Amino acid sequence: MFKMDYKSFFTTNFLVKGIFVASLVILIFISGISYKNSITVSESSDLVLHTYKVQVQLEQLVSNLIDAESYQKGYIITRDSSFLMPYKNSNLKVKASLKKLKVLTAANAHQQSNLISLALLIETRFLLLEKTIASVSQNKLTKDELIKNMLLSKKQMDIIRSNASRMINLDNLNLKEQQKKYEHEISFTPLITLLLLFFSLLVFIFSFYKINKDIEVLKKSNLELLITTESFKHAEEIGDFSSWRWDLDSNEFTYSDSQYHLLCCEPQSFRPGINEFLQFVHPSDTHLLVAAGEALIHQGHYPTTFYRIIRKDGKLRYFKSLGKMLTDVSGKRIFIGINSDITEEYLNSIALEERNRELEQSNKELASFNHIASHDMQEPLRKIQTFISRIADNESFGFSGKAKEYFTRIQLSAERMRLLIDDLLLFSRTNRIEKVFENSDLNALLENAKQELIQSIEEKNALIHAEKLPVLSVIPFQIQQLFMNLLGNSLKYSKPGIVPNITVKYQLEQQLIIPHVNIDPHLKFHKLSFSDNGIGFDAQYAESIFILFSRLHTVADYPGTGIGLSICKKIIENHKGYILAEGKELEGATFHIFLPA
Amino acid sequence: MNQHPIRILLADDDEDDVFFFKDAFLEIKIKTEVNSVKDGVALMEYLNSPNDPIPHVLFLDLNMPKKNGIDCLKEIKQNVRLKDIAIVIYSTSASDEDIEETFVQGANVYLKKPSNFNTLKKVLSQVISINWQYQTSGLNRDNFLLQL
Repeated sequence: MFKMDYKSFFTTNFLVKGIFVASLVILIFISGISYKNSITVSESSDLVLHTYKVQVQLEQLVSNLIDAESYQKGYIITRDSSFLMPYKNSNLKVKASLKKLKVLTAANAHQQSNLISLALLIETRFLLLEKTIASVSQNKLTKDELIKNMLLSKKQMDIIRSNASRMINLDNLNLKEQQKKYEHEISFTPLITLLLLFFSLLVFIFSFYKINKDIEVLKKSNLELLITTESFKHAEEIGDFSSWRWDLDSNEFTYSDSQYHLLCCEPQSFRPGINEFLQFVHPSDTHLLVAAGEALIHQGHYPTTFYRIIRKDGKLRYFKSLGKMLTDVSGKRIFIGINSDITEEYLNSIALEERNRELEQSNKELASFNHIASHDMQEPLRKIQTFISRIADNESFGFSGKAKEYFTRIQLSAERMRLLIDDLLLFSRTNRIEKVFENSDLNALLENAKQELIQSIEEKNALIHAEKLPVLSVIPFQIQQLFMNLLGNSLKYSKPGIVPNITVKYQLEQQLIIPHVNIDPHLKFHKLSFSDNGIGFDAQYAESIFILFSRLHTVADYPGTGIGLSICKKIIENHKGYILAEGKELEGATFHIFLPA
Repeated sequence: MNQHPIRILLADDDEDDVFFFKDAFLEIKIKTEVNSVKDGVALMEYLNSPNDPIPHVLFLDLNMPKKNGIDCLKEIKQNVRLKDIAIVIYSTSASDEDIEETFVQGANVYLKKPSNFNTLKKVLSQVISINWQYQTSGLNRDNFLLQL
């Protein structure tokens, strides 16, 4: 949830930035167009000015020519040389105008060639004027020649005028064309500018809306963050833990208030940092934290670390640190750490471990005592029995009636002693031997148990009916022993004169409820029930019959050691199951076995 | 019966058991020559001395002082001169671990000491009558523990 918001926040940021860049581009574009327009306008006015100048110059040129001609005519008529001076001036003015025109039309090849031909014409014109002046001054000019010259002059002047006006026309035409082009260019720009302005307005409205919306989201998440921070703070207090951050790139630390509380300090009472924290760590544990920090820097993984803290108030506490490395969008590595005060848990687990060890030790001692005792007791007993057998075989002829009876009793007692030791050994072995679970077919194990008891079954013509049993992961020889003990029990406590009938039933129990026993209600159990039609027992003994050496009958009636059912219970406990007995006197007994599914 | 008596050696520290053992052979109608040693070290000395002929059958108790039966068994099986002696483990207990280990180490029969003299006579004559050549040719886990 948090991660997603984080991401969307960043995309919004990108969007806003994009909008900003787009607006900037549009603005630059608009100003570019405006700049270009103003250049076009000034170019256009320059052109107008240029055309005007050309026109003025040409007109000036023509009028100066006319001036020169009229001064020449004045001279011819009056022969007064004072006319020659202004004539020369006009001549010079014409040449200056030509020069200026040459500069003005430099960019136009067509006009230049026009100008060259105009200059040639003017030169020819001046040549004629000079010639006439020279002829007049030497009085060589005849009337006919003068008339001829005058006519040629008029003709020359007409050509010059038409040339000049052609040039003016051409320039005007050029101007008109250019102006048309500029007008065309400028006429488009107001529309484009308006469109662009409208578009940027839209963009700005959109970004305003977007930013506004983001601010709302930000406000909302800010509120959520505030709530989260507050609840986290409480959680830290309740759970006796604190959080801290380590910005690996800038090597800056941030501690939660709880971090200070755990050290028994005022919140933010010192600057967070490695060395500042290490001052609170037990001197012989500092290397653990240093090693963890190095592992984080070099391998990017912070191992869960256990160490001792000496708080500001001098109390020793046990701490646990763990955490996770986060890398944010910009690639910054931030380590989020959790410190917990586990002193209570630690001390409890130490105490528990200690008790566990003691228990294990005493269990081991008990088991080995049991084993050694029963094993070592076998030897003297075997000898007693062997000696008894020798006496019974060879020496008993001489016994009196009483002695014979006593001797038989000794024999029986010794035999019973042997049974007890054998069963005790078996009992201790069910506890001692390695518990190897294998998938076993319970039908086969039951069949094996029946084979072991075949003599007794045949003797009593017992009927044994078993439902189909499942394949389970069990300790096979122990389950076979269990079946043997249960079947043997039923055979032994059968009613005299009645054929023993034993049934074995199976079902899957969805939920097991036993009074005073705490069982996980989600566990399923395989239930096996062994029922018989034997002498049964009083329901009040249903629990006590599983206690070691406990018996409900005298040895004379039903020989036995009182270990058989204890072994059954032990075996079932080895399988984490339960065994219950159900009985009614003289009607039979049922043993229910529950093995976890 | 055999022209030559069957040489039998018993290694057992328990005087009573040695007494029963020898008594039983006295009553068995097979020509035998029974000797006994008191512990593992004495057993190995006996077997390694060139003066004493190698027995045909060795009855080996497991719990003996100085050197126990399992160690003696291993030593005998590693000795080229002695490895063909038929070995009968003769012990008070018959724990699964002991049976397994002695079988793996190459003993031929595991006999649990009976608590009845008649039974003892019966099983001893049974063991002596085994055709050892046949018995040793293929070790058989199922017949290893002699059922009384």
